[in-house]
Amino acid sequence: MTVTHAAVPATDRTPAAEPADRPRHRPGRRRALGTAAFHTGAGLLSLIWLIPIAVVLVTSTRSFDDIAAHGLGGLPHSFTLDGFRQAWVDGGQQRALINSMLVSIPTVLLSLLLASMAAFALSRYDVPLRRVLLLVMLSGNLLPPQILLIPVSKLSEQLGFYDSLYALIGVQVGFGVGFYVFVLHGFMRAIPPEIQQAAVIDGASPWQIYHRIILPLARPALAALTALSFTWIFNDLLWAITVLRTDSKMPITASLIGLQGQYVSMWNVIAAGSVIAAAPTVIVFLRFQRHFVAGLNLGAVK
Amino acid sequence: MNISQPSRRRFLAGTGAVGAAALMSSCVTSSSSSGPKSQSGKGAVTLQSNLSAPQAKSAMQDLVDAFNGKGGAKAKLNTVAAETFRTQLPTYLTSGNPPDLLTWYPGSVADSYAKKNLLLDVSDIWTGPELSGYSKALQTLCTSSAGKKVFVPASYYWWGVFYRKSNFAKWGVKEPTTWDEFMALCETLKSKGVAPIGLGAGSGTAWVASSWFDYLDIRINGAQYHRDLLAGKHRFDDPEVHKVFDKWAEALPYFDPNGTALAFQDATTALLQGRTGMMLIGTFFADSTPKDQLDDIDFFRFPVIDPKVPMAEEGPTDGYFASARTGHTDEVKELMRYLATAEAQEIYLKGSSGTALPTNPKAKDTGTPLVKKGRALIEGAADVTQFFNRDSSDALQPSADTALTKFLAKPKEIGSILTTWQRDAQKIWSQ
Repeated sequence: MTVTHAAVPATDRTPAAEPADRPRHRPGRRRALGTAAFHTGAGLLSLIWLIPIAVVLVTSTRSFDDIAAHGLGGLPHSFTLDGFRQAWVDGGQQRALINSMLVSIPTVLLSLLLASMAAFALSRYDVPLRRVLLLVMLSGNLLPPQILLIPVSKLSEQLGFYDSLYALIGVQVGFGVGFYVFVLHGFMRAIPPEIQQAAVIDGASPWQIYHRIILPLARPALAALTALSFTWIFNDLLWAITVLRTDSKMPITASLIGLQGQYVSMWNVIAAGSVIAAAPTVIVFLRFQRHFVAGLNLGAVK
Repeated sequence: MNISQPSRRRFLAGTGAVGAAALMSSCVTSSSSSGPKSQSGKGAVTLQSNLSAPQAKSAMQDLVDAFNGKGGAKAKLNTVAAETFRTQLPTYLTSGNPPDLLTWYPGSVADSYAKKNLLLDVSDIWTGPELSGYSKALQTLCTSSAGKKVFVPASYYWWGVFYRKSNFAKWGVKEPTTWDEFMALCETLKSKGVAPIGLGAGSGTAWVASSWFDYLDIRINGAQYHRDLLAGKHRFDDPEVHKVFDKWAEALPYFDPNGTALAFQDATTALLQGRTGMMLIGTFFADSTPKDQLDDIDFFRFPVIDPKVPMAEEGPTDGYFASARTGHTDEVKELMRYLATAEAQEIYLKGSSGTALPTNPKAKDTGTPLVKKGRALIEGAADVTQFFNRDSSDALQPSADTALTKFLAKPKEIGSILTTWQRDAQKIWSQ
């Protein structure tokens, strides 16, 4: 990008002075045009992406009377943070956010721990039936979760888990592990066997190999999966309303639909609630994005 | 890979041990989590509510707090998003440990659950002082087809043709009472460049269009015919139903062309801004109106079409029914009796947006001119219907939405629309 930028002014400054350079100019100018088109196009595209977010942000700071009088699409005539207060206090988003964290963080840690162990065993050792195991995990992911709603709900009820956050953690771990194992297996398989052999010669036990060699090497994959799985679990609504019933245990996504009234929806409160609900995943993504990119570079240099 | 056998075994054993530990710990947590739940089952009565909007939710909390402050049985409010509640209600009622008391609708909706023996028989509390003064119509409404009382009503709202007083004054028009006057009014508004009738049957609120079907049917064929039709005793392709759509077709040119594109809240904005003249809508309309414009809102009764047909109105009632499998029958009944009192209903109306009406004849409403007019409308009605989905079932509502949306787009194809509607409805009735 910076190279093209530097080249553009240079060719513009001396358009006719050096006729001998003409053949070289054409591609330069074409590249400049291309760059301009690319930037306008990409800018417009990103604008289209950003408009809905901007509308939500603007709506969340309007008053309900303003929205009712001028319409959702009208220009804002008011500025208030009362929507956030209503969503946070009256709408119960504070409690819901805590619940979401109580579910998401243990689930991410537990499922990645289990998945990395399984992936380690399956990728680094000749575990019998490992191909079958992997296929079973993959096919579990291909199954649409909707067909399991009633079995999961009835099973959790019979096990005495129903309507507790443990049920939600259990379900989320169960449904996540298969996919994480699959991804981590692929990543760990690519780690050169010599590293492990060297460790074995130095007398490392399998546990030490897992925990001191493979896990640190798999960090980029783990970081990427952390960001992904956190987003999935945090944004999940289906399992939450399947295994939970009490409103004080509902995660943020369920409380967000609770902000909708039976007939009338206070769009400003809903928009404010959406902003609150989106904040943690954005933070997690921004935090882990560095890991993700660093991990890619690390692999490339080696 | 050059791994010696013993260490591999040790590793497998190690992972096995870790896995077992995880299992054990999850067992421990599971038993501790089921502990408090069974205890709460013994304690307070759970009131499962679908009033999830922040204001209504806090009004319900006030109500439950007031009940708990009285001493005696204790109640716990559990609010679920309205849409989740609607889809999960059958699951709640059939689950092994159901909520004790639930908000829902009386009439045929409650009866369909009563027929499956899912609802608690509360006939005894209807003879008590709290409920004996309730109107005959409400008593019938809360009685199942087996002759048992299964429901306690708490509030209702009404439907009417809402408009802005200042706009009507500006356009120099008055409230119509008959269909002909109504048509003349529409013509006047149209000549002034205003879309006379707003609808709001778009994006997610297609059910609003059913109000037109309901009202035209009860004005032309009467309330009893309407209920029978929705119960499957008549057919949607009968000549009576065709008459309803003939009348609707007369008014159709005056409908806002955006009627099926705008959701009802956007249609409200259009009405408030004077782009549409009036709108047949329920009182929740007032909840989507800015507070400073509420005084400017008024409504009139849906016009008379056939003077020989007794004037019925739509007055959807909300209230509570209890699960037949509740663990504490006496406490639930105590709570239901309390919810039927004038005191309880006034507490709720004060905390909520206040546009609903109490079912207890002794309870005071919020006293605004609009609410007083609405109460007079329903109290003067010869008969009260609920609404399309409440007089039939949630399963039949989508068939009406499809048929009516199609009619609004292509009114000429009414013959085939009604045939399809009848076929779809037949499938639901025969279930």
